[in-house]
Amino acid sequence: MNPVLKRQLPFVALLVVLASFPLWAPHAAVDVGVYALIYGLAAIGLSLLMGLAGQVSLGHAAFLAVGAYTQAVLVTKANLPFLLAAPISVVAAMIVALLVGLPLLRLRGHFLALATLGLGIIVTVIVTESEALGATSGIFGIPSIELGGRTYDTAEEAFWLLTPVVVIGLWLAVNLVHSRTGRALSAVNDSEVAAECLGVDTFALRLRVFVLSAGYAGLAGVFYAHYLSIVNPAASHFEVSVRLLLMVVLGGLGTVWGAVTGAVGVTLLDEGLRTVIPQLIPGAKGEVSLIGFGVVLVLVIILMPGGLAQLWQRLRRRMTPNPTMPGQHEHEVSRDEQRALLDESLQVLARSDHEPPGTTILQIRGLTKRYGGVTALNDLNLDIHAGEIVALIGPNGAGKTTAFNMITGVLPPTEGSVVLHGKEVAGKRPHVAAALGATRTFQNLQTFKSTSVIGNVKVARHLRSTAGLLRGMVLADRAEERHIDAAAQAAVDAMALTPLADHPIADLAFGKQRQVEVARALALEPSLLLLDEPMAGLSGPERDSLSWLLRRVKDTGVTIVLVEHDVAAVMALADRVAVLDDGKLIALGTPAEVQNDPAVIAAYLGTDDEATKAVEAAAERTEAEVADELTQVEEGAR
Amino acid sequence: MQRRMRMISLGLALGLATTSLAACAENKGGSTTPGATGGGGGSAAAGDIKIGVVLDITGAGASLGVPERQTIEMLAEQVNAAGGINGRKVKLFVEDNQSKEDVAATATNKLINTEKVDILLGASRTGPSLAMRPIAEKAEIPMISLAANAKIVDGSKWVFKTAQNDRVVLEKMVDDMKAKNIKKVAVARDASGFGEGIPEMLAEVGKAAGIEVVKVEKFAPDATDFTSQITNLRSANPEAVLIWGIPPAAGLGQKAAKQLGVTVPIYQSHGIGNQAFLDTASESANGVLAPLGRMLVADQLKADDPQKPVVTKFIADFKAKYNANPSTFAGHAYDGFMIAVESLKKAGTDKVKLRDAIEQTSKWPGVSGVFTMTPTDHSGLTKDALVMVTVDNKAWKLAG
Amino acid sequence: MTDLLQLVFAGLAQGAVYVLVALGFVAIFSVREIVNLVQGEYAALAGLAAVSAVAAGLPLLVAAVIVVPLVMGFAVLLERLTIAPIKHMTPLTSIILTLGVSTAVKAVMLLLWGPEAKSLPNFPGSDFFLGGVSIRSQELWILGISAVVGYAVIWFYEHTVRGKSLRACAEQPVAARLVGISPRTATVVAFAIAGLVGAVAGVVGSPIYLSSWTSGLTLGLKGFVAATLGGLTSLRVAMLGGLGLGILENLVAGYLSSGYRDAVAFVVLVLVLLFKPHGLAGKPTAVRV
Repeated sequence: MNPVLKRQLPFVALLVVLASFPLWAPHAAVDVGVYALIYGLAAIGLSLLMGLAGQVSLGHAAFLAVGAYTQAVLVTKANLPFLLAAPISVVAAMIVALLVGLPLLRLRGHFLALATLGLGIIVTVIVTESEALGATSGIFGIPSIELGGRTYDTAEEAFWLLTPVVVIGLWLAVNLVHSRTGRALSAVNDSEVAAECLGVDTFALRLRVFVLSAGYAGLAGVFYAHYLSIVNPAASHFEVSVRLLLMVVLGGLGTVWGAVTGAVGVTLLDEGLRTVIPQLIPGAKGEVSLIGFGVVLVLVIILMPGGLAQLWQRLRRRMTPNPTMPGQHEHEVSRDEQRALLDESLQVLARSDHEPPGTTILQIRGLTKRYGGVTALNDLNLDIHAGEIVALIGPNGAGKTTAFNMITGVLPPTEGSVVLHGKEVAGKRPHVAAALGATRTFQNLQTFKSTSVIGNVKVARHLRSTAGLLRGMVLADRAEERHIDAAAQAAVDAMALTPLADHPIADLAFGKQRQVEVARALALEPSLLLLDEPMAGLSGPERDSLSWLLRRVKDTGVTIVLVEHDVAAVMALADRVAVLDDGKLIALGTPAEVQNDPAVIAAYLGTDDEATKAVEAAAERTEAEVADELTQVEEGAR
Repeated sequence: MQRRMRMISLGLALGLATTSLAACAENKGGSTTPGATGGGGGSAAAGDIKIGVVLDITGAGASLGVPERQTIEMLAEQVNAAGGINGRKVKLFVEDNQSKEDVAATATNKLINTEKVDILLGASRTGPSLAMRPIAEKAEIPMISLAANAKIVDGSKWVFKTAQNDRVVLEKMVDDMKAKNIKKVAVARDASGFGEGIPEMLAEVGKAAGIEVVKVEKFAPDATDFTSQITNLRSANPEAVLIWGIPPAAGLGQKAAKQLGVTVPIYQSHGIGNQAFLDTASESANGVLAPLGRMLVADQLKADDPQKPVVTKFIADFKAKYNANPSTFAGHAYDGFMIAVESLKKAGTDKVKLRDAIEQTSKWPGVSGVFTMTPTDHSGLTKDALVMVTVDNKAWKLAG
Repeated sequence: MTDLLQLVFAGLAQGAVYVLVALGFVAIFSVREIVNLVQGEYAALAGLAAVSAVAAGLPLLVAAVIVVPLVMGFAVLLERLTIAPIKHMTPLTSIILTLGVSTAVKAVMLLLWGPEAKSLPNFPGSDFFLGGVSIRSQELWILGISAVVGYAVIWFYEHTVRGKSLRACAEQPVAARLVGISPRTATVVAFAIAGLVGAVAGVVGSPIYLSSWTSGLTLGLKGFVAATLGGLTSLRVAMLGGLGLGILENLVAGYLSSGYRDAVAFVVLVLVLLFKPHGLAGKPTAVRV
């Protein structure tokens, strides 16, 4: 069966299960079920935010409250019909998220989480103080939903109304996860810097998901207002945010389905605890069921961090026999086969708009980086011409990676400019340089650990495709996805990684992961490829393959700059070599010129004069003097 | 280690499944269990009269809800022991609204639709009562609230209340201020529904006596620090200060006022008529002035006061069962429950007849006052229901 | 003018309680990069436990002192049970975990002590007026004890080898182990200190600010805001931040509206995080690529 069609089956199943629920369940259960659906809807948005984009929101109830209050005001004061008021309320929640996200999403981790907590409390205070919104009593008497002449005022009707909303909401969210936007988000979550260098505007993306998740919460708020018939500050309370969080965590952070299973789970847990706890502890009142919530949250995180979804995965694995994955060294193709494959692939990936060889495509002027008193790079001036391979070499600490980081936008320079294809990129975020055609690999691996080899490479096609958030959600991007698949496959083939394409990248050896990084960079169809120590971690034959590959890549018109310690490889590969020492450029020329440059030799080995003096001085010291020195050193350490 | 983790995860999953099943069982059977959301335990027999009760048993209103629940449970026992209402036993269904409006709404829905109660009592405070009102009106079932704000019953056909209206409380207070020639009052009020509109109403009621409100401050029901509010009131140079809230805030506010050097008379609302106030405010309560129901000064009432036998018996019964003095909130619950019982005796469980019977309550001596309801007055109390009370050495005393 | 002084002084006392809670956050974060959301609950628990102790007949000061080591032990126990088992702690995990623990602890407090707020009796001493400003003796106790405990914690972290080695753990856990600092011991000590300052805050503030099952959340959050002013690593800035926050809250409540009091802390939090996320005195740390 068509895989896309197969993916729709669970949704149909969900629709059937939900639609039939009110038919057999007792009334009180349906009433509780309506709340489960309402909160579940908000939880879907939160799951996208937390699971996919990796951002904790401890104040998500704020958006639910904005949606609820807006709907309440529009329906009771302005007397707008449901279908007109609801979209306005959802948009209101999204606008608040936009305004709040613009400043806040620059934060990360703990700080972002607690800022969202603060947001939730600020919203609570605002609605509590606002007389127009009813202050502490809130707005009450909100009528039931009226649609097409029918009033939905019983629990069963509300449940049936919510069912398609939740199922469609879930469907859209799951589509998003598998789309270009979902891939990019997941990449950002794994390695923000790598995603940026592949052209993903991480800030804009995170903002979009934040706003989208607020939209889900706002929609939930709309239904909340109508079903409860009152809206007051309790809607924005911390407890509601915690409830949503628990739903997402219990269901499993790794999947959006977790939001729905978590919603059901938390609701059952809540009701169950209310029944069980008073029997275990007579006299227990009200919110004591919170003990259960807290304990479950803790236990899930410690024992089953993947939530119910993890349990489900374990069960499935027990039932289906393990497919054997090919080993990492099986199916190795012969060298000639590999080279033929490479040429084919490179044709697929070749750009047609390279600058004519010899034109200056990268101009570095006065590039400097200072950290307090330390100057890591001092006044670098360098021109890179189209179609050449330039190697950047020098002893450790010379400033090579610092230079790379500044060229690609990972690090802002203290002074100087970097002009790429005529545009200034210094100090701008890496995706700007990527959009102009420059990308890189990393000294410390920056792979996207949560996905497969081909998943990693597909992210690089971000700039070569256009499907945005909306198209991704409604599956209007199928044709484009096929192109992305083909191009990614070509890059994987080019690096001889074909048998490993579907392996999780975290399972691969270090050297292979480096190769994936190169494949990924190629898939972007760069005009300028920056490689940071690409040979490190590769075996002899692998290094040969890589050199060969790089020469073929250069033949297609790509400019290559690489930082490397493997001097032999560099000398054979590079057209020009730039030597850095102690932050300064000390030599620039052909490999031959540089090899014989005395300044270069001195930098690596020290001059003859210095060496001789040191040896003589050492010979003159007597044994006694050395022993004295040693004793002094020992005493100092105590 | 791996194995142990797996066993624990399995255990956790089983535990979750069991509690979930418990939830299903509860919902299916419709049985109620004692405790937070439970009622009397077991299902009601046919013919029983079902009374739904929604109270603020936990949360900000707990000091009201707990004694109210105790009162209603005690009275239900007494009624059943005496043979019930026209031979039918009374069955209580008590729900805790956690002092939250949305929980009150859900509980009310449950009582009406699942338990199918004949009449509703509750809530303890204004906010949740307001949340319950539209539901009761839609279902056309009589509801007697134990809360104070007149908004609860204004224009309502089905909702009644037993706590004195803010207006009559303020009228009593204004009488006292007039007698003491007080013209300028500074007000600190509860920020929730209980305090909304109070300063404005005081200004309106006191206008004829030349009383004006010179400063208004708000405090959250769970506030613990009143420095800023009292400081502002103090600097407005009032001739009297009014703190309008319920314990613990009312008591803490009282303490703060004395501590920050407020020397002018301090008035409080009818929400302080309980031990919690005396405990929180301790010595600073001395000299406070509040219009309260007669119950707190039962022993100081005249012999021919129609309320005297009622309040005296209630205090004695409550003390015997719970070993504590009942508060005015317990009194509101007494009134609500007994009016319901009286009306059920007269009219049975037909909801319209029941409602009419409640409206016909006339000169009925309760704990909070002597009630006379009419179709347009669902509160039934005038300022005569109140007496000015003060505190002297941890005891309530009729003010001179 | 007296009003201003009154508000400032009351704010100072309130702020001193925030300082203690803030120190608890910094104590843990500077060792383990965990934001411990249970911090506020230590205070609530200590206050309630002390109230019970007094009700059981213990003299006030004995009760106040006894609950401190009890809460410290509790804090360490919780850490051993919930945080120690996690091998790979991310910010997301630590927040959810400590949130779950604090929720459970709150509910247990509700179960044991009921919903009403309770307070310890005032510590010995009497209130007086100084130039029109009312000064409660309890406020003086708060200021005094907070200062002593606060400086003791600072002295421990900055001037003892033990304390300095703890801070090394957060910055370079592997290197710290190589030189013989056990991360397990370091974590336990950090949590014990957090329990200590939390308990003291709860006990010393209880007579004025009351203790209840819900008082831990807001107290914890406000202490967190103060700690954030110091980038979660500077004890001294956290102290100043706590005092400043208390004063600012009171000024806003007095001159603007008392309803906005709680919002102050969070507006401050958001502003600080936006403009100086690594604290008022901190430097951003770079990612190595």
